[in-house]
Amino acid sequence: MNRRRFMTVTGSALAMLGGGRAFAQGQDRLRIDPTAFQPVPIAITNFVPGSPSDGDVGNGVTQVITNNLKRSGLFAPIDQAAFIERISNIDVAPQFQNWKTINAQALVTGRMTRQPDGRLKAEFRLWDVVSGQQLAGQQYFTSPEYWRRIAHIISDQIYERMTGEKGYFDSRVVFVDETGPKERRVKRLAMMDQDGANVRYLTRGSDLVLTPRFSPNSQEITYMEFGQGDPKVYLFNIETGQREIVGNFPGMTFAPRFSPDGQRVIMSLQQGGNSNLFAMDLRSRSTTRLTDTPAIDTSPSYSPDGTRICFESDRGGRSQIYVMAAGGGAAQRISFSKDDTNASYSTPVWSPRGDYIAFTRQGGGQFSIGIMKPDGSGERLLTSGYHNEGPTFSPNGRVLMFFRDPGGSGGPSLFSVDISGRNELKVPTPGFASDPAWSPLLSSTPG
Amino acid sequence: MKVKVDKTLVASIALHLLVIGWGLVTFSSRAFVAPEESLPIDIISSDQLAKMMAGQKTGDKNMPKPKVEKIAEAKPEEDAVGKVTEKKELIKTNSTPEPPPKPVEKPVEKKPEPPKPVAEAKPKEESKQEPKPQEKKPDPAKEDPIAELQKKLETKKPPPKPPEQKVAAVQPQQQPKPKERSFDPSQIQRDLDKRATTRHELTGTALNASAALGSTTGTAANNVATWRGAFQGAVKRCFTPTYNGQDADQYEADIDIPMKIDGSLASEPVVVAVRGPSRSIAQAVAESAKRAIVQCQVYSFMPKPQYESWKLIPMTFGLKDML
Repeated sequence: MNRRRFMTVTGSALAMLGGGRAFAQGQDRLRIDPTAFQPVPIAITNFVPGSPSDGDVGNGVTQVITNNLKRSGLFAPIDQAAFIERISNIDVAPQFQNWKTINAQALVTGRMTRQPDGRLKAEFRLWDVVSGQQLAGQQYFTSPEYWRRIAHIISDQIYERMTGEKGYFDSRVVFVDETGPKERRVKRLAMMDQDGANVRYLTRGSDLVLTPRFSPNSQEITYMEFGQGDPKVYLFNIETGQREIVGNFPGMTFAPRFSPDGQRVIMSLQQGGNSNLFAMDLRSRSTTRLTDTPAIDTSPSYSPDGTRICFESDRGGRSQIYVMAAGGGAAQRISFSKDDTNASYSTPVWSPRGDYIAFTRQGGGQFSIGIMKPDGSGERLLTSGYHNEGPTFSPNGRVLMFFRDPGGSGGPSLFSVDISGRNELKVPTPGFASDPAWSPLLSSTPG
Repeated sequence: MKVKVDKTLVASIALHLLVIGWGLVTFSSRAFVAPEESLPIDIISSDQLAKMMAGQKTGDKNMPKPKVEKIAEAKPEEDAVGKVTEKKELIKTNSTPEPPPKPVEKPVEKKPEPPKPVAEAKPKEESKQEPKPQEKKPDPAKEDPIAELQKKLETKKPPPKPPEQKVAAVQPQQQPKPKERSFDPSQIQRDLDKRATTRHELTGTALNASAALGSTTGTAANNVATWRGAFQGAVKRCFTPTYNGQDADQYEADIDIPMKIDGSLASEPVVVAVRGPSRSIAQAVAESAKRAIVQCQVYSFMPKPQYESWKLIPMTFGLKDML
């Protein structure tokens, strides 16, 4: 036996023995896998007012936080009527036994005080009731009119500390507000907080608007509007209210969306009976053709790293989802329905986390909202019905918002569902609403 | 003639033996051998048995000697799996002085029985049997059963015996059934006592009627699978992780749990390792698991004699079955 062989044999023997030991260790560990998801019980106390006049704001902040966490589906806020202890000073550690008694796993305490300069100071503490440790504690200053924003930011802090993921509460949704009878429906661009509060109308409703999309810094919106001539893609500045046409193309442009860096807008341009994808650099105003097929390519969406694009195309005879490089080139079809070969896929949108592509699937007389991995695997339908369409991801990629039209004389409404298919909720809007688009997290966006 | 020995081959063999020997010593684990419960057994040879069975040729046939010496009467113990006995308090309900507990049990157990067997098993044999239990029935109904018991106790053994003898005379075959449980007013407290049963050793003439329940020296407490399952179930009850994403099955947290002998935590659970695509999510899963461990203590069901085996419990928390 030469030395090399000896070393090989000895090494393999040791590896075998080592492997056996690791296996033995794995066997020795007790394992727990919960079979069903349960929201975490959390107690959220009213924010202690610095003065009697701050009481309403403090209670309002508490209510917004409670509502946010409850709607997330991950937390189960405990009814305040069950509280045993009343928090009057947030600088003193609570009596944790009182909170254990009502089965709270986490406790939120806070204080809201008005500063001499008129600003509001919001402080909060997040406690682990079981271990008696403080998990988070922050204070914020803001103008009184932005107290809801503070509540959303605190909600995000709690969410992130408890789940390990970024929150999504401090964000906005732009959508198409619909009013009036069905045959003469007035459609306006509107914007609101993700919980349906603070609705603002961005257009007057004289022209039809469709497919609004936020820019990465949430300061601009791109959308399609039917004006006097062909429908065009516009750019709208939220702060100034100014708008401009994106590019000057001879045909109709539609389905615009920003690139992740905000430097480009990708959209469809109709030429004859076909439409192809184009990207336009917003600084140089130069355009790049990305597809050139005798088909309808539309609804493009960038991957979060900006290297790939998913879009829908009927180049195969039926509308399906394709993925290709951001600069164009060969596209790969990723949507293949296993149970319905006649199903078509549309409105793909890439998750901000990059792990999924959400879509609308039409098949079997129903419209479904679903997700699949970027390689087409792991398709999962989250909700189905008469008409569900236009999914958009929350900033953390955990929740989808879409619109549902029940048919008949009514109109569409906004709904949200988490990517596991649970916790489907109606999003409150003043009237009918469609085409939602979720903004990035406001507190982390540049600019 | 000199045989050439390849030194490398010798070294190889020696090292192989060394490695295998080291492995056998290091990785061998003590097999779980349940401690045997010993029973005294006298071994009798076939010759001895033959001699014992042969009898005596010169023996007096008028006084036959039993083949086996009778040591004692096989008297079944009433309830070897009794509750914690605090029988003195029971007696206080009556004004009578403390009577010995055993006599109390005998008549009470047998009294309710006669009506049943007579009515069920003996209707065809003798019609005379039927009136007798009917006569006896009103007796317990008229008075407080406990007070009646006391009266009978005062009269000592004779009063309860006659009915017993009558029944026995008519139905000698009913004797094997006296173990049927029946309502005993004097043992209400005992029956209501939900504390763990206690077992006491029986010797001499008493037989353990509930031997099937096992003895206190049984091996059930040593069953590792039992406490592992119970511990898993207890912690799982409190484990509410805050993640239910599609990739939940990829998240795991290894946590070591130092335990005290009373089933409480000796110190805070230690997160040994976390796994998953997102470290922050995996860390949150580990924190949820720690909360569950702390929240669900004390694990008082853990078997104290086996403390060494669960002094430190290594656990893995996963989200494999969440979806």
